[in-house]
Amino acid sequence: MLKMNNISRIYQNDTIQTHALRDFSLNVKAGEFVAVTGPSGSGKSTFLNVAGLLDHFDGGQYELDGVSVQGLKDDELSRLRNEKLGFIFQNYNLIPDYSIFDNVDMPLRYRGFSARERKRRVEEALEKVGLASRLKYLPSQLSGGQQQRVAIARALAGEPKILLADEPTGNLDSLMARQVMEILHDLNKDGATIIMVTHDPDQAREVSRNVQVIDGQLADFKIYAPLDRTAGNTGKSVSISAAVEEEMADA
Amino acid sequence: MRSNSMFAYNLSLALKSFKQAPSLYFLVILTLSIGVGLLCANLALVNSMTSDPIPEKSGQLFHVSMNTWPNDQPQAEPFHILRYREAMKISSSDIPKNSAVFYASGVYARDSASTSLKRFDSSVRATTPGFFALTNAPFAYGSGFAKSSGMEVVIGNELNQKIFAGENSVGKVLELDGELLTIVGVLKPWHLRPLFYHATEGRAFNLTDDIYAPLETSIDLGWSIHARSSSTVSYQGVKFTRDRNVFYLQAWVELENSAQQQAFQYYLDNYSQSLKDAGEHPLAILNELRDVNAWLLEQNIVDQNVLAFTFASVLFLCVCVFNASSLLLSRFHSAKFEVGLRRAIGASNKDMLVQGITESALLGIVAGLLSLLLSWFFLKLSIKFLPDLENLAVLDPKLLMLGMALALVTAIASALYPLYRANRYTISAELK
Ligand SMILES: Nc1ncnc2c1ncn2[C@@H]1O[C@H](COP(=O)(O)OP(=O)(O)OP(=O)(O)O)[C@@H](O)[C@H]1O
Ligand SMILES: [Mg+2]
Repeated sequence: MLKMNNISRIYQNDTIQTHALRDFSLNVKAGEFVAVTGPSGSGKSTFLNVAGLLDHFDGGQYELDGVSVQGLKDDELSRLRNEKLGFIFQNYNLIPDYSIFDNVDMPLRYRGFSARERKRRVEEALEKVGLASRLKYLPSQLSGGQQQRVAIARALAGEPKILLADEPTGNLDSLMARQVMEILHDLNKDGATIIMVTHDPDQAREVSRNVQVIDGQLADFKIYAPLDRTAGNTGKSVSISAAVEEEMADA
Repeated sequence: MRSNSMFAYNLSLALKSFKQAPSLYFLVILTLSIGVGLLCANLALVNSMTSDPIPEKSGQLFHVSMNTWPNDQPQAEPFHILRYREAMKISSSDIPKNSAVFYASGVYARDSASTSLKRFDSSVRATTPGFFALTNAPFAYGSGFAKSSGMEVVIGNELNQKIFAGENSVGKVLELDGELLTIVGVLKPWHLRPLFYHATEGRAFNLTDDIYAPLETSIDLGWSIHARSSSTVSYQGVKFTRDRNVFYLQAWVELENSAQQQAFQYYLDNYSQSLKDAGEHPLAILNELRDVNAWLLEQNIVDQNVLAFTFASVLFLCVCVFNASSLLLSRFHSAKFEVGLRRAIGASNKDMLVQGITESALLGIVAGLLSLLLSWFFLKLSIKFLPDLENLAVLDPKLLMLGMALALVTAIASALYPLYRANRYTISAELK
């Protein structure tokens, strides 16, 4: 589904070069729920932005759902973003003076759907996040958790192949964070591929796969072992060497 | 389908955007419309100055200049004013389809049947009858006079409004400087910009005349010459000009093709040669026929001040565009988040460009309407300070279109750089 090979991303300032990503390789299969962890400044957001085609990269190959993205033109990239990707931000990034409906409707506008189809999709997406009754509200009239659910609905409305979430619960208290996580799990169960950056070890533990970014590279070991959610939060850790092998195989 | 709904969407976004920052957009609109309005007002003046007053036959009407000054120290050569004898020579030719020789005069006019003694200072065109057909003078009532003498006049719409309240006054009798003349024709409102038949002596933008009177009668009545005249002899009034070296009549002929033109040129040259043979033509023979546009060009009727001011207003418009552009830059800068977000969820650079251009086109339409209003206002204002401009300050449909187009173009031009900048931000920069 998503295949990165030796990706590098260098931020060039007047005086300093920052290698935000270096030789970054990762392979995510359809249906996986990947948690990305790592220290602050290690390059997690950079990775997610590159994966979401919000940022370019300086070297390596990136293949998204069978499409090689390097060398694509702006309108082709935009189309991939629009049709294959759904992005969820830490700050929700809703437009404050648009209604909930208009916010969720926004990506569909660039798709050429009929008004009827757009309405159907917006309502369905809001249904999935439990906010179907708030179409006319403004974002400011919702709680943070509800706003993030609207943002998820916006990401879902285009029926993307991959959801990318950068600390989606970073601004939420634990109860609201829980609701958001439940929604993400439900979506994953329905077949969505999800890549989520998180600082919360518990969240990382409950998903099918963990990867860690350190200093712009995929760390060659895993701290958190994936847990079987159905069996409760008491899974056993996977041996480090096994994790390494799996990662090597992916790359 | 997609482009249609996209257009509607972009329009609704533009309206939302105006609502978000009304004062900023108001400033942009005001800035652009003042710039465009000022330029349009100036262009209106230039347009009037350079337009063709009688496009249907400007190529067939010729002003006649001759070089018959009787001694070898002429004030100009050739002369645009002629002696009575040359004027008659021209009038009597049957080569032109129409001809007119005339001079400008003025009288005080009143309705002879009125109890009021109020008199109106009226300009007079003392002319041969061919004038009306030659200039396509538009008649509301009656017709022109048929002969060069007779106590008959044609009056213009304005005088008819003043004296007869616009009624059909054919048959009524006017008292003109104490003489009684009967009205045989009344003209419709008649605008000639420029007044090609009398474009000399700074009169190119005067109004058409109040009264048109037969030439011979005007001379006999001694109606004085209200325009440039030159003579080598002294004389007591226009009555005594017929057989003297007094130059005061202008002549126009209508020649329908180049054969007629050549024939008429030959006719004039022949006449001059006969004068020369008689020792009455000391200067070189130089008879010039100038069609309407060539004649107007030669008279330099376009005011250099107006041209300079037009140039200045072009520069001013550029300043306005820079101004509007920097206002829009700040607007687009504050909209960076929204641009980033739209890009992130799949809007292409082109989508954003189209959205921005739709917005600025809408801006341009509003600015265009306002600028037309403003240029109308500027023209009114300029007439207040320079009443001479009255007959010039006209916004014709062509200019209204130009004003709208200018506003549109400048609005889009103002938005281009801000749009270019906004679309170059890294998408992820504003999104956390
Ligand atoms: N626009 C930028 N210009 C220059 N350097 C940048 C830019 N964005 C990120 N960086 C640098 O790249 C590195 C990786 O940043 P990134 O935001 O990916 O980290 P992160 O893992 O998401 O951190 P956090 O957990 O704090 O969100 C950091 O050293 C950061 O300073
Ligand atoms: Mg981050």
